[in-house]
Amino acid sequence: MNALLTSAVAGLTAGGTYALLGVCAVFTYRLVAVVNFTGAAIGTAGTFVLIALFEAGFPIWPSVLAGIAAGTLTGVAVGYIMTRWFGEAGASTKAAVTVALLVGLMAVGLRLTGGQHPHNMPELLPGSAFRLAGVEVTIASVLTIGLAVLFTILSDLFLNRTKVGLNLRALADRPMAAELLGVRVQLLSLLVWGMTGAFTTFALMIIAPQRSPNFMTLSLLVVPALAAALVGAFRSFWWTLAGGIALGIVEGLASSIDSISQYRSAIPFLVVLAVLLWSQREARWDEAR
Amino acid sequence: MKRASLRASLVIIVVALIAGSAAYAGLLPSYWVFLGTSVLITGVALQSLGLVAGRTGMIALCQMSFTGVGAWTVGYLNIAEAPGGLPIWILVGGLAAVPFGVAIGLPALRLRGINLAIVTLSFATAFDTILATMTYPGQTDFLQVPRPELFDSDEGYFVFVLLFYVAIAVALEIISRTRLGASWLAVRHSERAAAAHGVSIATAKLSAFAISAFVAGISGGLLAGYLGTLVAENFSMMQSLSLYAVSVMAGAHFAEGAIIGGLLVVMFPELLRRLDWPQDIGNVFFAIGATQALASGETMSQTFRRQFRKLLPAPAPKAGDATGQNLPKAVERTAGPALTIEGLTVRYGSVVALNNVSLKVAAGTVAGLIGPNGAGKSTFIDAVAGFLSSYQGSVRLGNKPLEGVPAHQRARVGVRRTWQTNRIAPELTVGGYLALAAKGLSAGETKAVLDWLDCPHPDTLMASVDAGTRRLLDVAGVVAARPAVVLLDEPAAGQSHEETLRLGQRIAEIPKLFGSAVLLVEHDMDLVRAVCSEVTVLDFGQVIAAGPPARVLSERAVKKAYLGIEEESVAA
Repeated sequence: MNALLTSAVAGLTAGGTYALLGVCAVFTYRLVAVVNFTGAAIGTAGTFVLIALFEAGFPIWPSVLAGIAAGTLTGVAVGYIMTRWFGEAGASTKAAVTVALLVGLMAVGLRLTGGQHPHNMPELLPGSAFRLAGVEVTIASVLTIGLAVLFTILSDLFLNRTKVGLNLRALADRPMAAELLGVRVQLLSLLVWGMTGAFTTFALMIIAPQRSPNFMTLSLLVVPALAAALVGAFRSFWWTLAGGIALGIVEGLASSIDSISQYRSAIPFLVVLAVLLWSQREARWDEAR
Repeated sequence: MKRASLRASLVIIVVALIAGSAAYAGLLPSYWVFLGTSVLITGVALQSLGLVAGRTGMIALCQMSFTGVGAWTVGYLNIAEAPGGLPIWILVGGLAAVPFGVAIGLPALRLRGINLAIVTLSFATAFDTILATMTYPGQTDFLQVPRPELFDSDEGYFVFVLLFYVAIAVALEIISRTRLGASWLAVRHSERAAAAHGVSIATAKLSAFAISAFVAGISGGLLAGYLGTLVAENFSMMQSLSLYAVSVMAGAHFAEGAIIGGLLVVMFPELLRRLDWPQDIGNVFFAIGATQALASGETMSQTFRRQFRKLLPAPAPKAGDATGQNLPKAVERTAGPALTIEGLTVRYGSVVALNNVSLKVAAGTVAGLIGPNGAGKSTFIDAVAGFLSSYQGSVRLGNKPLEGVPAHQRARVGVRRTWQTNRIAPELTVGGYLALAAKGLSAGETKAVLDWLDCPHPDTLMASVDAGTRRLLDVAGVVAARPAVVLLDEPAAGQSHEETLRLGQRIAEIPKLFGSAVLLVEHDMDLVRAVCSEVTVLDFGQVIAAGPPARVLSERAVKKAYLGIEEESVAA
C-alpha cells in the first residue's frame, strides 16, 4: 500500500506540469481559438536558455528569469505568426500551422542544443515540502500543482468575471469583429501567448531534471497536456487540472509496475482514446460547417 | 473509367516508363538511382498522407507508425519464410496497417478534425516507445529482407518500387474521381452538406483512413526491401511530423505533389550534406514551407498547376459530346401527403425556435414556407432533414416516421435539402458534384439536368463557378437524385429578377419532371405566389397562417409579421 502511495506521489510533479500545460492549452484555445501544439516547445526553448546560462556559469536565479523571459518571447513570436497571418483562418488550419511550427521549433532546438546530448539541468528547488502518511512530498510537486491551481483560478476569473475576458470569449473565432468593437485583439492575443509562454517555461524548468532534458522529449510533453485538455473538453479549466494531475499519478503508478513501466508513455494515448470515444456518445454537427 | 482519369493515369504511366527505362538502361549513375528509389518510397508514404490530410483535410501525425507496421510485418514474414516473396509480403504489410488506421480514425469520426491530430500525435509517441523495445526481425541473426531476384540490383529495385508507385498513383487517381473520392472532398469542405447528399461521414472518413494506412504500410514494406534491415528511428514521431509538414507544403494528394515532396525529403538533406551543412535544418525549411503554404492556401503542386495552365491555352468547351435531351426519368409517387410534420417543437436552451408547428406537403405539389427573418424556417429544415440533435413532434415521409434516422439516412430514403450558404467543395467539377449528389446519373442525364437549369458544362471546375450559379447547382443536385421530398432553402437569394422568374418556372416543373414534392422556403413573394399551391407562414416559431397563397398573403397577421406594424398605420 505504502509502495503504491509512494509511486503515486512520485507522479505528482509530472501531474502538476501536465495540468499547467493543459490549462494553458485550454486558455489559448478559448481566447485565441488555437489548439496549440507548440505549447511545450515554447517552454522548452525558455528552459534551454536557463540550461545554457547555468552551464556557462551564471548564477541560477537570474538565469531562471532570463529563461522565463526567453520563453515569453518565443510564445509572443509564435503568437505573432498566428495573429498576423492566421487570425481569420479556420481552427483546423491554425492547428496545422502550430504542427508545422512545432517541427520547426524542434529542429532549431535540437540543432542548437546538440540533439540528444545530455545536459546538466539544475534542480531549482530540491527537497521535501512535507510528509504525507509517511511519504515525502517534494517541493517541486507542491510548486507545479500550486502553480497549476493558481493559473486555473486566474483563467477562470479572467474569462468569467472580467469584461475583457467575456468580450474575448464571445469573439475568439472572429477577431475581426472584436477589432471592430474596439478590443485591441492583436495586443491581447500576444499577451495571451506571452503569458502562457511564461507559465509553461517555469513549469518545464521544474520538471526538466526528472526527464532526460533534451529538446524533443520536453517539447513532446504537449501530448499529455493536450490529453488533459481533452479531459476538460477544451472548455473546463478545473476538469483539465484534474485530468492532468490524474494523468501524472497514473504514470507514477505505472512506472512502479515493472512489466508495464517501459510502456508508460502510451498512457496519454489511452486517455485520449477513452475520452474521445466517451465524448462522441451522441452524434453532433460541427457548428461552423 | 472516365476520360479525364484515363488521361491523368496515362500521363503518370508514360512518365514512369521513361524514368524506369532510363534507370534500367543504366543512363543514370547508380547513386542517383539509389536516391531515386528513396524518393519514390517517400512518395508512396506521402500519397498515403495526402489522402487523409490533403483530400479529407484532417491532420494525421502518425503516418510513419503505419509505415512501421508494414515494415515490421514484412520482417516477420521474412524470418517466418512465408511463401510468396517480397511483393506478397508488402501487400500483407499494407493490410496489417489497415486495422491500426481504422482504430485511430474511430475516435475522430464525429468530432472536429483537430481531435484526430491529438489522437495521432499521442499514438505516434506511444508507438515510438513500443517500437523501441522491438529490434527489427532478423536483425540479430543478420538476416536481411531479400529483394525479388528479378529486381535485385539497385536499378532493378528502382523499377520494382516504381511499379508500386504507379499502381498506387493510378488507383488513387481513379478512386478520386468516383463518388467515394468526391465524398472525401465534400466531407472536408462541409460535413453537413455531405450528409445532406446521403454520404455517411463515418464511411467516408474510415475508408480514407483505411486506404491511407494500407498505402503507408506498403511504403514500409518497400523500405524494408530497400534497406534490408531497419531501426525504430526510421519510423519515429519526428519523421511523421516532418512528413506531415512536407505533405502540406508540396500538396501530397497530387501525384506530382508526392514526388515533389519525396524529392524534398531525400534531396534536401543530400544537398546540405554536399554543402557540408547540418542536415537536420531541412526540417526548419519544411516548417517554413508548410506555414507559407497554409498562409497562402496554395501548395507547391497547385502553384505549378496554375503556372502550367497559364502556359497552355484553355481548352475550348467541347460542344455536343453529350446530348442533353433526356432528363432522368421521374419516379412514380402515390398521391397523398409526401411529408407530414406534426407538433414540431425545437428549443435552444430557453429559446423556443419552433413551437408546435404542423405542416403537410402533398405529393406532386410545391408548398411554400415563408416568414420574416428569424421566424424559424431554417431551423424547420434542419429538423426535418435530421440536422438537429433533438426535437419534439413527428416527421413522417409518406407513412414512414423519421425519428431516430440520422441525416444521411434521411437523405437516402428521400428527404433532400439545399443550403442558404454555398457548401459545395470548390475542388469538385460540376459533373463530379452531380455524381456525388445523385448516385448513378448517366453522362447524358447529367448534361440534361444542367441544361435544364442553365448550369455550366460538367467539366467546369466548381471554383470557377459564380455564387449564384452554385446555388442553382445545389438545386440541380437534389432534383437529379429524384427524392420523394425536396426542401429548397431560399434558392432565389442572390438571383436577378429575370433569373428568379426562370427559376420559378423550373421549380414549378419539379414535381412533374422528377416526381418530387417541393417545400420552398423563400422571401421572394412573387416567386412564392407563382409556384406554390399551399403556403404556411411562420412568425417567432409559430404558424400564423396557412392555405392557398392568394388568401394567406392578404391576411392581416401575415402583413403585420412582415412589416412589423399594422398595414393601416403605414398608409396613414
